[in-house]
This record gives sequence, structure tokens and C-alpha cells, in this order.
Amino acid sequence: MCYTVGMISESKLRILTESAKYDVSCSSSGSKRKNEGGMGNGYAAGCCHSFTPDGRCISLLKILLSNDCVFNCKYCMSRADSDVPRVSASPEEICELVIDFYKRNYIEGLFLSSAVHISPDHTMEQLLLTVKKLRNEYHFHGYIHLKGIPHACDRLVREAAMYVDRMSYNIELPSEKSLKLLAPQKSRESLLIPMQKLHSDVEIFRAEKRKGHFLPAGQTTQMIVGASPETDGQIIRLTQSLYRRLGLKRVYYSSYVPVVHDALLPDVPAGELREHRLYQADWLLRFYGFDAEELVESDGNLSPDLDPKCAWALRNMQFFPVEVNSAPLEMLLRVPGIGARSADKIIRARRYTRLTFEMLAAMRVVLKRARHFITAGGKFYGSENAAAVRGLLSSGGRTPAQMSMFADSRGMALALPSDLETARSALRGEL
Amino acid sequence: MIYFYDGSMPAFLTAFLLAYADEEATVTSRSLQLTLGAETVFVQADGARAKRAEKRLLGMDRDCLHDLSTLLRSGDDDRDMVAFRYLKFLTQQGRPVRDMLAEDCVLAAVECMRRVGYEVHRFHGFLRFLECSSGALYAPFSPDNDICDLLVPHFRARLPQFPFVIHDVGRKKAAVYDGEHTFVAPLERAEIALSADEEGWQSLWRNYYASVNIPSRERLKQMRGYMPVRYWKFLPEKYRSEPL
Repeated sequence: MCYTVGMISESKLRILTESAKYDVSCSSSGSKRKNEGGMGNGYAAGCCHSFTPDGRCISLLKILLSNDCVFNCKYCMSRADSDVPRVSASPEEICELVIDFYKRNYIEGLFLSSAVHISPDHTMEQLLLTVKKLRNEYHFHGYIHLKGIPHACDRLVREAAMYVDRMSYNIELPSEKSLKLLAPQKSRESLLIPMQKLHSDVEIFRAEKRKGHFLPAGQTTQMIVGASPETDGQIIRLTQSLYRRLGLKRVYYSSYVPVVHDALLPDVPAGELREHRLYQADWLLRFYGFDAEELVESDGNLSPDLDPKCAWALRNMQFFPVEVNSAPLEMLLRVPGIGARSADKIIRARRYTRLTFEMLAAMRVVLKRARHFITAGGKFYGSENAAAVRGLLSSGGRTPAQMSMFADSRGMALALPSDLETARSALRGEL
Repeated sequence: MIYFYDGSMPAFLTAFLLAYADEEATVTSRSLQLTLGAETVFVQADGARAKRAEKRLLGMDRDCLHDLSTLLRSGDDDRDMVAFRYLKFLTQQGRPVRDMLAEDCVLAAVECMRRVGYEVHRFHGFLRFLECSSGALYAPFSPDNDICDLLVPHFRARLPQFPFVIHDVGRKKAAVYDGEHTFVAPLERAEIALSADEEGWQSLWRNYYASVNIPSRERLKQMRGYMPVRYWKFLPEKYRSEPL
């Protein structure tokens, strides 16, 4: 390994970036770290600095310290038996890069990861060395997200947590079985136990109101979707327990992109639609008060045709329509098409006047889907009939005979599966 | 009657008082073509009257002058009338109205303020500094709204050791931080000498930008939605190797 102080070479930067880019986590939110006599600070809301042609944002400089790996995870381009050029950056090269990029406002901070170089402890030591240098010698107080290295010793991990804003261990695959198959050197314990320890350390740190910092922006994780056979139901349940038991801030999903060929892996990329639906469900868990059990059966998948909130609403028509002038916030948030911002606008505006559909439209509340699930001032515009789903179906162009089985809106949950296609096409098309 | 004013807050408030009872009032700071035969008046700021108006407005809504300042920064063609109608409605109601979103004039004002605030947030990310040979940082940009001075506190907190100039090249003005004080000054063109390393870092940044992209997942529409093309002129990763 050759260490030179100063500007990193173009080829090294390219290799270390290309190996890091499949990690999807990009957010720089959650930290209010102050600038203590140097450069940089936290930006609690997070900040995007650029967008790449794949539509993703650049917030942090996402880079590996080394791509020289002793692990042999099947899906990873840096795995030990893959024939790629191996490089390692020096801590100084990373620090200089961060400082000069940050100064020019290219980035919000650093996302530092690494292949397992030599050993987990050695790698963790190098990562720790880099972030300590950045904080102590370069006086950098901007955002740092550090990857945890599985099997690295607790002491190193805990020390790192005092310097960085966020840490993440990637769950990688949604089940132990798949992990064993595809990432033989990682185990559920090597990922979940450090996450648990960090979580309890954060809790203790907060409870005792200690000085300094300990992961102010918490932990996140990521799993690859589509490389292994788990259902959306399993994935969403796992996600929910990660949020509730381990206090994670975010769970990222990365739909599988074949970067290496292996008999154990599919050769086709997983659909981006599936990833999108998982994110929608994830948002419903975090911001909309839904439980995983409401969204999808444990052995089932999310509907590709309907967003998960719509699908839930169609299974639960007994709750609808709701009156926008009186429904509580948590119910407004469950209306398909009404997001957090629209719900907030409705709550604010209705204190002063009785809202009508015209007002909602003027306020740019999107009514395309919502009008089938709400009334405004007692009026319903989903269809001429009272039940929203009948509106859906009539716009789907079904015959009255077929509609009759939906006549009683209470029967919806039972009746729907037999004619789900109709409801779906109605929602996709006419609404 | 058309009420011209110079775009400043005191002049706006003076015009506001004059035009308040005029049902046909058009308040504007733009040199639009005069309608033939329309009566016009050029309103000069009247410090004392403006102060009185401020005091009364603050009595009804202590945040309304902040709203007004934000509205007058908007690059929208109708910003003056949006501000005028909003303040007029506030005066009629005698209490804060910003949550009364079912009222057209309130909604227009709230949306307008949101756009200004959103652009400030965007440029916290999209502003690009060039390093000068003196060590000072220079950021040219051309925002939709008049926001260059609103960006200063953010960058001052992050980069207190670096003097910087944030140059709104369209409005020919700049917000300056000299390492101690901040001020706004007219600035037509800036003559700058780049530092020796500037090219090198820009080139590394372009390299990074190209490397971190996943070409098999191209979504150009999404990229343009988040980062509008009109901002690209000042982003080194989007203009090709000829710095400004």
C-alpha cells in the first residue's frame, strides 16, 4: 500500500467510489452538531448537493477506504475471489478530499465504508483513525456516516460512535438463510448484535445526559431485495422490528443489480417497482401510523399495481369516506392520495372555514384518488353513490350486475379479492 | 391607479397605505409597459408613514413583516400584488391569516413564500464555491428569487475562517462575508484569480460525480426535477471543464 499525502489520484477515487455506490444510504439528516472552531456543522433536515443521472442525490462523499476484501459475499463486486484492481486510500487522502469538497460546498460530509481489509479489527481501526483525524486534526464538524464492520471488536465500534454522526451495519439479506448462502463470512449475530449494543449505548448516553456526542443521527441499515426469495411481508415485518426494537432511523432497500455472476444469484436485476413499493410501505410505517400487519400478509407481497395505502383502503372500506372537516389527523393520513403535507394544510385551513372540494383543489390537495375516500362538507364526489368503491368500479367500466356484489360497503373486505383487478385498473386509470 | 415603487420595504408600505382604499389598485416595482391612459403614481418611501404602518401590522401579526420581506424577494411577476392582497386581507381580519388557506390571497402568498424558502434550501446544497488564489471563496449563481444574503448565515456558520462572496449575477449584487462582517453590495462582474488547485479539485469532483452514478438505472427526468437545468450553469459537475 502506498500512502501519499495530498490529492487522491483520479483512478483511485474512481475505483473506491464505484465500489461504494451500491450502498444506497445517502441522507445527511438528524444531526445538529455545531461547528466548534473549525469547518462544518450538521444540518438537521439534511441537504442534497447534486443529483446524478440515475436520479439519486449526492449528499455525502460516499467512498471506501479500501476495496481489498477478505470476505467473499457473492453479490459484491469487491469480494475476495473477484478479479478487480485493489486499492486503498490513506486516511490523509480521505481527509483532504472531504475538506476540499466540503469547502466548495460539493458535499454535506463523508460516508465512509470499507471492504474488510486484512481483518475486521484492522479495518475498523483504519476507519476509526480516519474519522478521528478528520475531527481532531482537520477540525471537521460536518456530517460523518460510518459503516460498521461485522466482527470488529466492541471497543473500536464504541469509540467510533463518539466521533461520527451515524453508523450503519447492513443487514444485507432479509433472512439468516440467505445471508449464510450469499455472504458466508457474515452472520445475523455479527450484524444485529453490534446494532443492539449501539442502540443501548445511545439510550444510556441520552439518559445520562453525557457531554460530547454519541451517534446523534442514530443508525440505519440496508438490505438487498430480489437476490433471495424473501417476501415483501417478511421484509416489512423485519423493517418494523428494526424501527421498533433497535430504534433505527432508516431502513434502505436496494433492488438487486447483478454486478457479479454467480450460480447462486439471479442474472436479472430486481424490478425497481418492487423497491418503490417497499419504500412506500416503509413510509407508511414511519410517518403514517400503519403496522406491518395491516399492509401485507407475512407470506405475501405488496401489490405492484396499487400503492400500499390504496390497497389497504380498498380492503378497509368500512372506514371510508371520511369527512375532511372533522376527521382526525391520523385518519386523514390514511386517505389514499393525502400525504403529510396535504393533511397539514387541511388541518390548518379547516379551523377557519368549512372546506369544500373546490377549496381543496385550490389548495392543491390532489383529489384524483382521495375524492373516492372523502367527503367535504358532506358532499361526496367519488361517484353518485355513497360507497367509494362503487365509484371506483363504475369508472372502471364494469356492468351493474358485477357491481352489485359491492353494494354493501361492509362486504368490501370479503368481496374485493375476487374482483381486485377491476378495482386496480380503476385506480390506475380513471382515478 | 398604478402605484410604482422601488422594490424596498418602506416604499412598499408607503404604497400600501396610498393604495389601500383603491379597489383598482395595481402596485408594482416592475417597469412594465404602461397601459395607455392608466393613471400612475411613483411612490417614494415615506419613512415615518412606513414606520407607522409597520407598527400597526405587527400589532395584528408579529411575523407579518418577515412574510412581507420574503414576498418582496420573490422573482414571480405578480409578487407585489400577492404581497398587497395578503397584507390587505390581514388588515381586514386584524389577526394572523397565514393558516386561512382556503382564501385565494393567503394561498397565493403562502405558496410564494414557500418557493422562496425552498430555493434558499436548494442553494444550501447547489451553491458552488470557487477557491481564489487569495484563499477567499467565490460563488456565482443566478437564483429565481432575491436570496443571496439569506444564504450567508448558513455558510458563515460552516466556513467561518473563509471570506466569501455569493454573487447573484442576474441581479448584479453580492452578499459578502469578509471574515468578520457581512454586507450586500452591487456587483456587476467579479475578476477572480483561481487558486492553483482549483482545477484539480473540480476535476476530481467531476470524476466522483461520474463514478457514483449507476448508468443502468438512468432516470434523467427525476434528476432534472430535483435539480432544474437552469441551475446547471454554475455546477462544475454539469458544465464541462471551462470554469466561469
